[in-house]
Amino acid sequence: MIYRRTPMSRRGFLAGASALGIAAAARPAFAQDAAFDFGEPMMDMPAPNGPLRWLDSGDQKGVFFEPFLAEYGQARGIETVYDGLPWSEIATVVPLGVRNGSAPDAFTLPLDMPPAVAIDQGWVQPLDPYIPDIAEWRAGFPAGSFVEGINMRDGQTYGLPFTSDRRSSCLLLFGREAMALTEFEPSPENPLTWDQFRAAARQITENSGGQIPGFIIGGAQVNRWRDVTLQMASRAGAHFGMAGFVTGFDYTDGEYKLNSPEVVGAVELLLAMRDDGSVFPGVLSLNAPQARAFTAQGNAGMILQGPWNVPIWEAENPDFDFGFTWTPAPEGADGRTYTNSLPATANMMFLNADAQNPAHAAEVFRLMGTLEGQTAWANVVGPSDPAIFPAANEQAQMSDRSRAVIALQEQQVRATPVPYSANTGFVEVARLFQMPTPDIAQTVQGLFAGQLTDVQGSLDTLNQAMSDALDAAIEEANAGGANVTRDELVFADWDPMTDYSG
Amino acid sequence: MSTADHDIPAAGPRTGLGTRLWAHRVDYLFLVPGLVIFGAFILWPMLASQYYSLLDWSGFDSRRIFVGLRNYRELLADEFFVAAFWRSVWFTLATVPLQMLLGLVLAVILNNRLLKLSAVFRTLIFLPVVTPVAVIAIVMALMLSPFNGPINDLITGAGLVQRAVDFLGSPQLVMWSLAGIYVWKWTGVTMIYWLAALQTVPDELYEAARLDGVTGRQVTMYVVMPIIAPFAVVIGLISAISALNVFPLIQATTQGGPFFASEVMEVFIFRTAFAPPSGTFPQLGYASAAGVLFGLAIMGLTILQVLAVRRTRRKEPGHG
Repeated sequence: MIYRRTPMSRRGFLAGASALGIAAAARPAFAQDAAFDFGEPMMDMPAPNGPLRWLDSGDQKGVFFEPFLAEYGQARGIETVYDGLPWSEIATVVPLGVRNGSAPDAFTLPLDMPPAVAIDQGWVQPLDPYIPDIAEWRAGFPAGSFVEGINMRDGQTYGLPFTSDRRSSCLLLFGREAMALTEFEPSPENPLTWDQFRAAARQITENSGGQIPGFIIGGAQVNRWRDVTLQMASRAGAHFGMAGFVTGFDYTDGEYKLNSPEVVGAVELLLAMRDDGSVFPGVLSLNAPQARAFTAQGNAGMILQGPWNVPIWEAENPDFDFGFTWTPAPEGADGRTYTNSLPATANMMFLNADAQNPAHAAEVFRLMGTLEGQTAWANVVGPSDPAIFPAANEQAQMSDRSRAVIALQEQQVRATPVPYSANTGFVEVARLFQMPTPDIAQTVQGLFAGQLTDVQGSLDTLNQAMSDALDAAIEEANAGGANVTRDELVFADWDPMTDYSG
Repeated sequence: MSTADHDIPAAGPRTGLGTRLWAHRVDYLFLVPGLVIFGAFILWPMLASQYYSLLDWSGFDSRRIFVGLRNYRELLADEFFVAAFWRSVWFTLATVPLQMLLGLVLAVILNNRLLKLSAVFRTLIFLPVVTPVAVIAIVMALMLSPFNGPINDLITGAGLVQRAVDFLGSPQLVMWSLAGIYVWKWTGVTMIYWLAALQTVPDELYEAARLDGVTGRQVTMYVVMPIIAPFAVVIGLISAISALNVFPLIQATTQGGPFFASEVMEVFIFRTAFAPPSGTFPQLGYASAAGVLFGLAIMGLTILQVLAVRRTRRKEPGHG
């Protein structure tokens, strides 16, 4: 196959490869008309004990919090220090900081650490003593924002859930110019079926003379294979957890479904598109930002990716005319896609048990749980990391397309039950669970690369390995006093079309 | 002059260690910064990783269970560990000889004083060495891309292949492609080592050979090579250790994929220690055990080469 001779620009490629948030280049505007109003202190604030120190994983959070904290500091007369570190460093800096007493006042937890572990270990302290109107404050959040076992423990509030995980990392995003080569006109009201998705990819490829491959994926990042497979399977009607020991775990009957017809069908769809020749060449050595950049350059027709692409493309590729729609589903199916909890745990902020300025940190937490704070966040971040208050997203400054993406996700994404809320002993299970190798992501990548050939057989093996690993983790956890059973992971009252509300 | 002649009394009563330390306290004081740095950044991590390898520990919570050699037993039965180990060995065997040969050829050519612009060529060949791996990875992804990549354009245009080759995405080709990138990047260093070795060849030998009417090729084969051959052991050792530490290049290009096809030992260690599947805990103890085993393998290689150096030296004139 011969591809066109107008290559993607080096600049564009480098821009994609560096994966820099576009927002980083712009000074944030917290409020639409004036500077953010921090109002009166929530309580009689103690004198500062050194600077107020804040640590999170940077990126868009850094764009927002660094200046926001500085303005807060000016308003309250306290010096502020913001640090944004990559996750790999947070995994070492936070545990070490907690141990030697140098951890910041407010920090995010290592990416794979369930908050309940940090609570058990005494790393963090409840917000209740510091936020006077905490019950009223919590009531302002949407249902499902505070979950026992995640950011609540024994009725005490620990984590600040300021962003929503009601995000799909597999929305169908497409260039309109490429889509015009097909017979389809997808939109949020008119999503594509699996067959149409495949046909559209083939038509884009063929009708462009092979110059625009129909579909692209950042296949060097194995998590992309997991997300695409599981979310398309979810749209087909499977309903299961998406990460950790509940990956592929069906809460309605307590069994893993990684070898279900829905998952097998999703994998076979990807393989069929590969065999059609409508997948971008070299996807196995592309990461997600590179795939995103190729799409925006018009070098690929469609991509299954998250809402964070929207503001990036709007800023970086203003001439790129693109649309979006639901994750494809088979004909006649209209399943939802899932998140393990409504609040995004990766963004959740916690109060250091030995914080030097706990009241000031808690006040910043409190501000982020108001409509004003949420709107300030949404003004800066838009649909990339949506504010957890729907009203904030509605009134924030963002493009109509960004607002529509958020609205679509309100319809497509649902929160599953949370194991820890059934029994906090599952925290121990999460800690002990050893994910089989290859996991679902690696298995799908291996099938796509041709190193594995038997779709059903590979997924059967994986499914059994997951089940065995869960049983082993439960047994080991119980030996340590966790007192959990697999039956407790069955939530018979869950309607998979709705958020689980417990 | 012997050491005894220089600073230690040849005769007299033996003194205790403390007395001797005190007598030379100023000398030892100068060693302290180096020892502190060595202890903090080399010795302590080495000892700590050996201790961690005996634990069931995620690395970020206080729950550490001593499991003895269990991690080692599990590793030896872990097909992905074994495969990664042999992949590292394969990578070393594939790159080092080629790198040494290319480096030597380039060094011999550029050591010729009659060659004009040799300094320019040296610089150009050394340029990839000083280029950051991340930049190399991005550039190579562009160069080798099956979508409008210049190399694919070249070989398809020349009719060498029918369709574009996925150099970094093909399980069959990825290790060869990475080996090629690696050799391209690091041959400049090997060339510099060989150039340094060539400087040890006395000018008189070249002069004598020239007076004897020896050809340039004969000078290289019969005069230069025997003299610089012992350096090959050292250069080989350095190159082999470098080839075993190839994490940045692979992580920046393929991340060990597709489906583990380029997962060498360091990528395996990174994956288990710091990049577990989403929502699961890392296994720092297990990864430490893998690191210890890998370290032992490198140490074994080092010892072998040290022995080879000694053997080579013993064969040199003047060493019996």
